[in-house]
Amino acid sequence: MVSFHLHPLQVECTLFFQDNPYTYETLKGLAMRLGRNAEDLAAVLDQLVSTMVLEMNGTGDSAIYRYIQPVTIDLQKEELCEDM
Amino acid sequence: MVSYTATGIEGLDVIVNGGFPIGSSIVVDGAPGTGKTILGMQFLYEGAKAENEAGIYITFEEFPEQIYKEMTSFGWDLKALERENKLRVICLSPEVLISQMKQPNGIFEQIIKEIDCKRVVIDSLNLLHFGIENQVEKREVVFTLRNILRKYSLTSLLIHEQTSLNKEEIPFVSYVVDGVIRLSLNEHNGIYRKRTLEVLKMRGCRINEGEHIYRITDEGVYLVPALSMFEDMVVTENQTNVTTGIPALDKMLSGGIPRGTAFVLDTNSKANYKYILASIVSSRILAGEKVILLLSSLSSLYDLEHIYRLYGVELEEVVKQKRIYFIEHYDRPIPESFQSAVLHVKRMNNDEYIETVRAKLNTLVSKDIEDGEKWFVFYDLNTIVSQRGKDFVKRYFTEDIAFIGATGMSMIALSNFTEIGTETASFLERTSHGVFQTWVDGNYQYFQLKKSPQGNMSRPLLVENIQTRPYIRFL
Repeated sequence: MVSFHLHPLQVECTLFFQDNPYTYETLKGLAMRLGRNAEDLAAVLDQLVSTMVLEMNGTGDSAIYRYIQPVTIDLQKEELCEDM
Repeated sequence: MVSYTATGIEGLDVIVNGGFPIGSSIVVDGAPGTGKTILGMQFLYEGAKAENEAGIYITFEEFPEQIYKEMTSFGWDLKALERENKLRVICLSPEVLISQMKQPNGIFEQIIKEIDCKRVVIDSLNLLHFGIENQVEKREVVFTLRNILRKYSLTSLLIHEQTSLNKEEIPFVSYVVDGVIRLSLNEHNGIYRKRTLEVLKMRGCRINEGEHIYRITDEGVYLVPALSMFEDMVVTENQTNVTTGIPALDKMLSGGIPRGTAFVLDTNSKANYKYILASIVSSRILAGEKVILLLSSLSSLYDLEHIYRLYGVELEEVVKQKRIYFIEHYDRPIPESFQSAVLHVKRMNNDEYIETVRAKLNTLVSKDIEDGEKWFVFYDLNTIVSQRGKDFVKRYFTEDIAFIGATGMSMIALSNFTEIGTETASFLERTSHGVFQTWVDGNYQYFQLKKSPQGNMSRPLLVENIQTRPYIRFL
């Protein structure tokens, strides 16, 4: 059986971006907004970039993280289309 | 040519005469709790909804989720607008914003293009400056910001939080930006608070100066422009306005004094009102109206002949045509050719006076009205008060106004509110459809439209004497 281990900071970070989808921040800026240590957050952000939850623009300290909004399907609209 | 875009607040559109100039950067300055964020978001929300102009709200400190939540209390579903690509509530640091704005195809430029953005709100300018001690550097940051916003032709509101420490900062910012709006929260009647908005600067706009009261309602900021009253608006329906001969006054009155209305001109003893009156009365004569003039103690018929000539009216001719009549309370010389037009009332008591004048008016006016003729009456109320008493005015003035309205006549009455006392003055103000006031303060004369059937009022205007007709100008 495959077990998933979710890092609490990863959840916190994902929820923050989900609630504030148009956030564009550096590591330092995000650490301040979330009230966390930049060192702890760096690895979490890398993980979220690799899983395509976030996108990183630029490099080093000035790199900016932004949220990749999941593509949502309007089920009601889909059903309507199928009925036609 | 400057184009304008609606501000999202109807009353503010009135104050800036149509809206914000497109592409302008405007500082919204105010203490905490004055409603800067609401005003900013309303500008974007209404812009998206009513003008189909997309906008972005940039917050440095507040989390967007908080803003989404707070704005639902005004019925504004910001997330729905974001889904329609009409809005973005962006959260970033000031330094990220500036660096991204400067970068070709940076995040700022990408968002602008993505939603075809026309409006921006930046919350706040203080945080953009935070940590910068050097004034030159601060100025450069604002200058860069303004230039970038202008480059994209974005109409922008830059929120500035006023604190007791940074009150001096506004003058420096106001040089750089195109407009400054100040929101204030002042004590009112001891226990209440009064919210006021003042436009201190707006390049490319003629603004209505002064403080205007606003309220934060269930639908956002609602502003009532000062110096406007609407309760008498109905009076002007289906009325014809007749020019006063004074362009600035005609503009305030949407063309002139409406037929069928009564105005009072309140003066103090120093103010020169004779040109104002002569211009108004002669304009009525030139517009083809017949006139009844109650002569004042200060102007004899010889004086009137002279002054009306300046306005292109030969009184003797008008008398010959039986288009003007005079009511005379004093014993003084009358030109021979005017005799037939003068009604002498000096020796009459009040009852005889009212009976005679009304009988004369009825004879003159009744048939004429049926024939479509229009009449204009000038009353020197100072003469009536001195000769007949205040009670006489209170007793008969309302009846006179009712008669005038019913017969489609119009009237201007001259009075000195200070001299006749507060009670009679407020009675006259209430009874009349319109009130002008002219007074001298120091070395200047002022004029103000204080009430009008059109619902307009004016701020105090300077009165300047000029060499050509109408010999006065209001500034």
